[in-house]
Amino acid sequence: MTRALPESRAGRVVLEARGITKRFGSVVANDRIDLTVRAGELHAILGENGAGKTTLMRILFGELQPDEGEIYLDGQRVRFRSPRDALRHGIGMVHQERKLIPAHTALENIVLGHPRTKAILDLREAEREIEALCARYGFRIPLHAKVWQLSEGEKQIVEIVKELYHGARILILDEPTSVLSPPEIVKLLESLTKMAKEDFAVIPFITHKLPVVLEYCDRVTILRRGRVVAEMETRHATEQTLAAAMVGRDVVLQVERVEVPVGEPVVRVSDLWVRDDRGLFAVQGLSFEVRAGEILGLAGVAGNGQEPLAEALAGLRPVERGSILLDGVDITHAPVLERWRRGLGYVPTERREVGSIPSFSLVDNVLLNYHFEPEFSRWGVLATGRARELTERIIAEYSVVAAGPEALAKSLSGGNLQKVILGRVLSRHPRFLIACLPTHGLDVGAAEFVQRKLLDAKRAGTAVLLISEDLDEILALSDRIAAIYEGQFTGVVPASEATKELIGELMAGLRRERV
Amino acid sequence: MRAVIGGYAIRIERRADVRWWQTALASVLAILVSLFLVGIAFVRVGADPLEVYREIVNYAFLSQFGLPQTINRATYVLLAAFAIIVPLRAGLWNIGMPGQIFAGTLAAFGVAYAFGAKTASATELPGALVVPLMLVAALAAGAVYGAIAGFLRGRFQVNEIVTTMMLNWAMLWIVAHMIREGGPFMGRTAEGEGFTLPTSLRVPQAFGLPVTVYATVILALLLTWFLAKTTLGYRIRTFGESPRAAEYAGIDATRVSTLVFALGGLFAGFAGFHYFLGVPGVYKIPKNYGDLGDFSFYGLITGLIARNNPIAAIPVAILFGGVSGGARFMQGKLRLAFGIDYALLGVLMIMMVAFQALAQFSLRIERAATVAATQVERGESRVESPHH
Repeated sequence: MTRALPESRAGRVVLEARGITKRFGSVVANDRIDLTVRAGELHAILGENGAGKTTLMRILFGELQPDEGEIYLDGQRVRFRSPRDALRHGIGMVHQERKLIPAHTALENIVLGHPRTKAILDLREAEREIEALCARYGFRIPLHAKVWQLSEGEKQIVEIVKELYHGARILILDEPTSVLSPPEIVKLLESLTKMAKEDFAVIPFITHKLPVVLEYCDRVTILRRGRVVAEMETRHATEQTLAAAMVGRDVVLQVERVEVPVGEPVVRVSDLWVRDDRGLFAVQGLSFEVRAGEILGLAGVAGNGQEPLAEALAGLRPVERGSILLDGVDITHAPVLERWRRGLGYVPTERREVGSIPSFSLVDNVLLNYHFEPEFSRWGVLATGRARELTERIIAEYSVVAAGPEALAKSLSGGNLQKVILGRVLSRHPRFLIACLPTHGLDVGAAEFVQRKLLDAKRAGTAVLLISEDLDEILALSDRIAAIYEGQFTGVVPASEATKELIGELMAGLRRERV
Repeated sequence: MRAVIGGYAIRIERRADVRWWQTALASVLAILVSLFLVGIAFVRVGADPLEVYREIVNYAFLSQFGLPQTINRATYVLLAAFAIIVPLRAGLWNIGMPGQIFAGTLAAFGVAYAFGAKTASATELPGALVVPLMLVAALAAGAVYGAIAGFLRGRFQVNEIVTTMMLNWAMLWIVAHMIREGGPFMGRTAEGEGFTLPTSLRVPQAFGLPVTVYATVILALLLTWFLAKTTLGYRIRTFGESPRAAEYAGIDATRVSTLVFALGGLFAGFAGFHYFLGVPGVYKIPKNYGDLGDFSFYGLITGLIARNNPIAAIPVAILFGGVSGGARFMQGKLRLAFGIDYALLGVLMIMMVAFQALAQFSLRIERAATVAATQVERGESRVESPHH
């Protein structure tokens, strides 16, 4: 039933890439990349967005052919014609976006496409094997649940198990920790470590989450601008050295929280109840206040009510019960524009769907937060000159890389677009700023920049509600931290008393402080 | 998409953005292809396609009688196109041009009726006072009739296509009721037509055309400016590109959809005012008012072909205005089979819409050897673009 393992190969080179070069037109995405992966190790590939990670990943599992360079598997030169071909050689890949069929069970998804699958499915035998596989590495997934019922973390595990079941011995993972809560991350990495011990090679590709790399990975290869800039054992590395290598300059990883005398409460929320799109209460009786010059961090795993809360505060979702006061004025049911005029600022999670319009110029995108201001609309005509000036100022002040104020938003990278959105919102000098996942998906440099700007806003006396799934960010920036789980606070902790473990447990709903 | 033929590969890709000249070129090609295809049909019925096309062009664009007719019809189509363009900029579909056109027309005739135009046609009515009133009534009625669908859409998410279609039927029956035998707007001869306007209440002419024609050209410029430069235009565009971003920006969905349909209806009302009060030889609600309602759907095609650009819609509207009149004339003159004029128009429309769709794609032929590299380039840019 369980596959017989060959005698331990730990430490032997299983995968080697030599001089991999890949060009797209004039752009060299991969420039003579060397990579050596040994059995039994977790070997992280680290790099910012655009460093060439994706290209390398695609070459390794057969989706791209390199222009130059060779790949060796167990010392044999190989050439993959397709991902299927790569899997036949034992290389599995787990993408960032899920490739599962939501209406089928986890088990059916895992079995699907297996060479042994015949016209008539013998799921029972497959189930026994898959259960054994899961038990061995400590994966826990409900095999008979439909995939749409699973959490993001569980779906990812289904894909990992699927690759293993289909015979992968080398597993490539694209940003495996990006959708997980801290306890889930710990669980996943423990399982991966266990797998690695059994002679697998696991290659996670990571943009952020440097602590994960240091804690769990054995070795790391760092890419910058298509080249390998460093390769080292993680026990010789620090977050500082990793980040500096990635970005090419010294980076302040965790911008320091600044102590500012905290002022009067700007926002007072009491007993707030908000429904989600399905009509269920996603926010259940939350009460809190945010003071001037204070950052309240809201820590939680995605889908625990953060989005509906932010939308209700911004006026995009009706409030069922309770009240929201902004500077003492009741805005519970106020229209969006009145809130903006009273000093609300909102940086939404979905940058390209809500926070900006990809087909619009940057000027028109800046106008999203200004079209209703008299200075920007005279006699019903847009003051385009003024909007252009403002856009130019934001581009300069936030070092946005763009062709100019008339560049289309879709031509900007995620980090640059986020700078434009944040700059636009902060240029209104909001009294109360809601920042939803402000650095999500940004590379280290841009994330640092955004965090600094949030601290500047705080220093200027803005009350900030920081909603983030990145616990490190929350811990670094917040003055107080509220953990949210299933629409309720499981704890509100001052920064001085907050530890990663405590907040992690609170946001996983494993414990509850008196709120 | 890629296909390999021999040593070459043909690659079809969606264009990132389509330039105006590509759109224009696509339209010209569409016209040529249509003329060729319909030419086959003409040959089959024994006519020389070149002669047919010469007759159409001679009549529609070069004859003394045909040219004004072309321009008047084109104006009507163009205004109907504005009626679809404005809501479409907000991502909403106005299929209610006939209803809004006749709402405007009935209101204008209602004002004339109130001033006793039906009975006192011999006496001189104060046109300088009544005609502007008729214009305001036509615009207001069109706007209100349009706004119904917009409000229902914005407030209650009622599908605007269904609503506007139903409002069309309602209005066509109201017209039938008004001009029927014994109806208030019945014409003197009582042959299923409305009463004819007295000369003093007709739209004034300038250089042989009703002034509404010139007004429409100015409207095309104004509308372009309105959509591009004004705050309301900005809100409409924002809502059209992304309703969620619009909501984030505090743009009220109900207001925008009501506004765009009111504006669309206003243009439609003006179309009715132009055609039934301004075109020589009409000056009434004629018997074939239903056909004229259908004719406004050319505005829909015009708007789509012009890709929502009011100025680009002008040549398209002139084409449809000219070909529809010219083909009918040619069919009579050359004694061709009934319906061949519609065949020409139909093929033209299909081809123009199809070529617009095709213009969204680029086609490249290359040596098959380079295919492997280019194929992956496409995949690469989807996930991680090395350019940023």
